[in-house]
Amino acid sequence: MKLVFLVVSLLLGLASVGIWLTQPDLASDKPVIYWVTDRNPARELQVERFHQWLVHEGHVDEHGKPIVELRLDMANAQVSKIAIQSVSGVASDLIDTYGESMRLLQAMGVLTDLTEDAEAMGFGPNSTYDAMGPDLMVDGRQYRYPANVSVNLMWVNPELLQRYGLDPPPPRWTWADFEQLGVAFKKAANSAGTRPADRKFISSHLMAHVFDLTNGVDPLNETLTGSALNNPAWIESLKTRKRWIYELNILPTPDDVAAAPTEQGFGRSALQLFGREQYAMLPGGRYMLVQLRRYSQIRELDVVEVPHNTFPAAFISTRAVALYKGSKHPELAKLFLAFLASEAYSQTIVEDADALPPNPEFTRGEAFRSPSNYPREHGVHEIFADAAETIAVSMAYSPYVLPSIINRERNNAEQAYFNNRLTAEQAAEQAARLIDRQIQAELYRKPELLAAYARDAARQRVLEELKAEGKPLPETWIKNPVHRAYYQAKGRLTDQTPPEPTPVVLPFDDEHAVSTVNESAS
Amino acid sequence: MSAAARPAPPTAARKSAAQRQRRALLIGLTFLLPNILGVAVFTVFPVVFSLVMAFSDWDLTQHNMFKEGLPKFIGLENFVDLITGDRFFRFFANTLFFMMGIPVAVGGSLCAAILLSKDTSAGGGRPYLWLLAGSVLVVSCVMLTASGLGSTAMMLLLIGTACGILLMGVTGGLTFYRTLFYTPHFVAGVATMILWKKLYAKDTGPVNAAVRPVLEVVGGVTQSAPAVPTVIGWAFTALLILLFGWGLGRLRTMRVEGDLGAAAGALPLVLLFIPACIAAIWDLGGPLMRVVPIGISAVAVVQLVRLATAQERFPVNAPSEGFGSALVFALLAMVGQFILLGFAAVALNLAGFVEASAAAGRETLIEAPGWLTNPDFAKPALMIMGFWAAIGSNNMILYLAALTNVPGELYEAADIDGASPMQRFWNITWPQLAPATFFIFVMSTIGGLQGGFEMARVMTQGGPDGATTTLSYFIYIEGFETGRLGYASAVAWTLFILVFSVTLFNWKFGNKYVND
Repeated sequence: MKLVFLVVSLLLGLASVGIWLTQPDLASDKPVIYWVTDRNPARELQVERFHQWLVHEGHVDEHGKPIVELRLDMANAQVSKIAIQSVSGVASDLIDTYGESMRLLQAMGVLTDLTEDAEAMGFGPNSTYDAMGPDLMVDGRQYRYPANVSVNLMWVNPELLQRYGLDPPPPRWTWADFEQLGVAFKKAANSAGTRPADRKFISSHLMAHVFDLTNGVDPLNETLTGSALNNPAWIESLKTRKRWIYELNILPTPDDVAAAPTEQGFGRSALQLFGREQYAMLPGGRYMLVQLRRYSQIRELDVVEVPHNTFPAAFISTRAVALYKGSKHPELAKLFLAFLASEAYSQTIVEDADALPPNPEFTRGEAFRSPSNYPREHGVHEIFADAAETIAVSMAYSPYVLPSIINRERNNAEQAYFNNRLTAEQAAEQAARLIDRQIQAELYRKPELLAAYARDAARQRVLEELKAEGKPLPETWIKNPVHRAYYQAKGRLTDQTPPEPTPVVLPFDDEHAVSTVNESAS
Repeated sequence: MSAAARPAPPTAARKSAAQRQRRALLIGLTFLLPNILGVAVFTVFPVVFSLVMAFSDWDLTQHNMFKEGLPKFIGLENFVDLITGDRFFRFFANTLFFMMGIPVAVGGSLCAAILLSKDTSAGGGRPYLWLLAGSVLVVSCVMLTASGLGSTAMMLLLIGTACGILLMGVTGGLTFYRTLFYTPHFVAGVATMILWKKLYAKDTGPVNAAVRPVLEVVGGVTQSAPAVPTVIGWAFTALLILLFGWGLGRLRTMRVEGDLGAAAGALPLVLLFIPACIAAIWDLGGPLMRVVPIGISAVAVVQLVRLATAQERFPVNAPSEGFGSALVFALLAMVGQFILLGFAAVALNLAGFVEASAAAGRETLIEAPGWLTNPDFAKPALMIMGFWAAIGSNNMILYLAALTNVPGELYEAADIDGASPMQRFWNITWPQLAPATFFIFVMSTIGGLQGGFEMARVMTQGGPDGATTTLSYFIYIEGFETGRLGYASAVAWTLFILVFSVTLFNWKFGNKYVND
């Protein structure tokens, strides 16, 4: 038995050494960097182009080969995995981030501040869309660079609408237009005997935050110090969505989606149902084309804005690459970010239609606007590019509360209202109250935020007074990009800044917190 | 006698024995070392560490290898946060709701085990009967298809599956059925959960396909004869009051027989009154709010007067005597009352609901529920799925094993005495299964308190409106979505305290029946 035990131990030891020696990093003759990203076949080509770009730009070794090898990690793209790997020191060098995940990772301090390098290497915010800036920065420092840029508009199948005697919508339209078209389409495209699985709807589900934007609503107030949901505009948005989904049923309920003969895949079931012509419209960005190119039965495609109530606008968002602070090869990893700003990379995005290229310069050519292989798409590409430079607004993120918490409270209130457990007014009050409570709890846990909060909260009070009096609002005080764009569109901004008000004092028992606020006040 | 043959002096022998023992110990430890290290590093250390974390303000956004600050000891602050906030209790209530299904699931496992302990392939012409039944089903299937009635794939699938099960059972006998029943346990949870999502689809799911005709009949009957559901509703109300009276009477009997101490009876008594209080304050529809409390009060007065005037037949040993039995009994009676209250509320409100539907011109008078999208149905839906998974689980295997250990002589003696099958079960099988039942209940309770994560994550993401978020899912959300590891650890340790307390309670009060 002892001998067997020893032999097994020896074998295990040898196996461990064997695995160690053959692990990918050691098997390569050059430094290896990893990129944690989504499962998209296009990534392979992007890696290949990066290696070619390195050679082209002279980042080569003595044999003329790229000085670094980029490898993909598609198994760990979930944000909770990235967070745990990051704080354990074993995350990938390059991390794909979205707005919410970047805020979490930045708050954790695991992302590298790229500001100076971005400026020097040509991937600063001025090399991408103006509206994109706030989404790449936290407190004026840059933490990522776009791999692609998306603007949320609505894909339209005009032929489907015309089949039922309806005119496709104009490029810019209102909630009333949408409701009218939706009711007419539902009536014309469905009969009493239509099976639930075959029901047709004017559009797939409209994302709540995208819809709210078109009514000038954002969950956060102007200075990002509190919730702005408890207001008539959000109540109106809630009521309208409920009417469209549950009363008029021109948009599918969750049960309608569950009845559809498809399971969620990339782009969720909405894309497949648009492809099957069960939805006449599909909210989304240019990236939808990656899949839509497979649906040849749709002979025409058009793109229009999301219908608006008071504010014609669209969210601009990005899948952007950040650099892990624990990277063993940060200088080499930064080369990849520089590659993202290059023409070589943008060309891959132009070709495969995976949203908009990071650099708007590359949306102006014929290759982008009229791809020869896809005549069906002529005319739609520039709509996205133009929207990114005209009506696009970046999402708002507060330093005082994580976006995941805002989304949770907002969704809970919305579901309670949709399920008749609360009125719209109660739902708005509940969402705002719980978000505000979370902000207070965060301030209590992080006293270092108090000074800035006390200043911004005092400004917010002044802003509320100015709003109530209908006076112009100082632009420099409005941190929330949604509100800034909204007030700008309404002509309510002014360059003049009022005198700085006395910072507010929070009712915390914590001595440190109170003294921090008092220091700030003095 | 040579020196070599001479026995070793006693001290040297002792030394040698001690050396051998030490050597054996060392070798044993060497064998155990990998496991001990594994347990220490991957179990003991994380558990102790999480306990420390529960008393700290550890937040991943503030404390990690890239931040300078260290977590601070904050005493019981996380626990105070947890108790003063509303989310913990809400999710704890969800967890308790799911746990109400444990007795049903355990009962189902027992029934399955008893069925599977019978030999279906035994003689007596039974196989031929099975074959005949199978053939009839196949012929039915063909006829349904030919006549167009079986045109839906689902109906054909169901009939085909039923035929297959019967025929395979005849050929494979018990082994086949045991394997079939145990299937939910070894099929991947996520796969079955996705399947159940499809079964629960409101418009196209087979569950609602079965429920819809029943609701149509109920709607039709209610519309044409609104008095019927009202009468049924009052019948449920009467049953509720009777159940309360019976429960109170049972406690009184325990008291009179000397099985229940004065202090031990207080909490069970309160539990019995809770449904009436809820009925009085909850808007269940006019009359119920008055009738239930009045009826229950009247019954209570009668029972309490009887208790006051009754003479104790046996003295009570201690004030806490019989607490466990009374509490479990009162809990079951309370759950029963709630179920009856629910049925009564539905039946009494049905006529009004149907009338409103008809007035609104709805296509269907009573719509089939959105099982996973309606907060009122999401919990029961997941609970039903839990029954399916639990009936064919390890509990069934444990009961099967326990059934084989019941001495055959007991059954022979019962047969000689002329006992009926039900008497055989209650007087032989059930008592003999008491140790297995106790173990299964303890493990199910622990599993119930810790469970619900996979279901919430895969099927509902904890929604709608937080209706299916359990404590385990709450820990995940707090720990990995907001990074508050200290708070998440406090929730985890509170859960541990709950599990530990319930297990202690089970050992203290449940063990008695096992040993008896």
